[in-house]
Amino acid sequence: MVNLPSTPADILPFIIAVVTSHTFITLVFFPGFIHLVIVVMFLTWYERKLLARIQLRIGPLYAGGPGGILQPIADGVKLIFKEVMIPYKADKPLFLGVPLALVFLGALPFAVIPFGQHWVIANLDVGLVFIFAVTSLFPSMILIFAWASNSKYPFLGGLRSLFQQVAYEIPMWISALSVVMLAGSLNLVQIVNAQQKIWFIVPAFLSFIVFFIATMAELERLPFDLPEAEPELVAGWFTESSGAIYMVIFLALYMKLYLMSSLVTILFLGGWWGPAFLPQPVWFILKALVVATFIIIPRGVYPRLRVDLLIKIGWTRLLIIALANVFITVVLLSTGVLAAWGL
Amino acid sequence: MPFESGQVPQGEARKRIVMQYYPYLLMFVVFDVVGMFLFAWGISFRSIAPSDSLLVLLFLFLLGAPLGYALKMALHRENW
Repeated sequence: MVNLPSTPADILPFIIAVVTSHTFITLVFFPGFIHLVIVVMFLTWYERKLLARIQLRIGPLYAGGPGGILQPIADGVKLIFKEVMIPYKADKPLFLGVPLALVFLGALPFAVIPFGQHWVIANLDVGLVFIFAVTSLFPSMILIFAWASNSKYPFLGGLRSLFQQVAYEIPMWISALSVVMLAGSLNLVQIVNAQQKIWFIVPAFLSFIVFFIATMAELERLPFDLPEAEPELVAGWFTESSGAIYMVIFLALYMKLYLMSSLVTILFLGGWWGPAFLPQPVWFILKALVVATFIIIPRGVYPRLRVDLLIKIGWTRLLIIALANVFITVVLLSTGVLAAWGL
Repeated sequence: MPFESGQVPQGEARKRIVMQYYPYLLMFVVFDVVGMFLFAWGISFRSIAPSDSLLVLLFLFLLGAPLGYALKMALHRENW
């Protein structure tokens, strides 16, 4: 805690004390803003390169300076200076405000994501529920944006986004329930601490599969990218966005990609635990990037599912498998099989 | 227009669109609440008596039959 300055001579020490405080560093530098922007820019570059290698695209493979590093920067500059077109009769405050709300919602959950034993901004006791609560606001925001843009394709895409939430959300929760039962806590730091001896992917493997598939549906990635199906809906719910609005929406989407891969890492892949020759946050980011890779790869490989098939898979397969894993967890915990690993 | 080959769009954009998959939406409303209660149970699984956990499992088994029926009805196209 830093005292407020009383005399002019105290102002400089006050500023130094604020800037070097743990709260400020975690907020602005490491788990906070700057780290987030760097990783998001890296992810855009990484996805471009990965898909170019999968699909043998010449352009993205060779364009943009050494290794294509300049391409995201060029994209950003181009999009900032492009004209923002607002459709006729569109709801202007909502059309301009919802993308900002999306970025806010994408960045907010990182306040409770622990990147290391002490690298967390807010050690919230209900962190997991907080993340689910914030991410479940996304489809509603998308529908509001789609409605505000006064165009048919965005509106259809926004409705599909809501349908998709009906399909994936319950299996996601139920599969996270097994992890909560194993760890005995909703606090993300305690969930990771419980995995020091064994990662939860081992006792809750079925849950991991369900959670991963639900994550891909939540991120609207192929094969579940129905809200932005290009052949049917032009570009889905962000068809009418252009220029800076488009860039802001993409920032939010990649933040969400990083967020969900971090969540998979925390719940199933042991968070920051790893051999001690690397610092904890490095292990965490490496694992999250590996998960992000497996989320990106299907985009270059698989075709798209139909809406009714997605919703049918969500309820008749994923939910049943997730519930089955809850019963398996009950059996494992009550027979004490996992006692050797401190669970 | 940047899409539709330059054709001018016709009609209202904010039309009424039929909410399909009605049984799934109903099931979502039910299981959303059940999911919340299950989290409350999952947190305290170690600290409560096994007989209480058995009650929750019984409740889940009882939910199984309606869930199966709802899934069966949801596969019928005429109910969408």
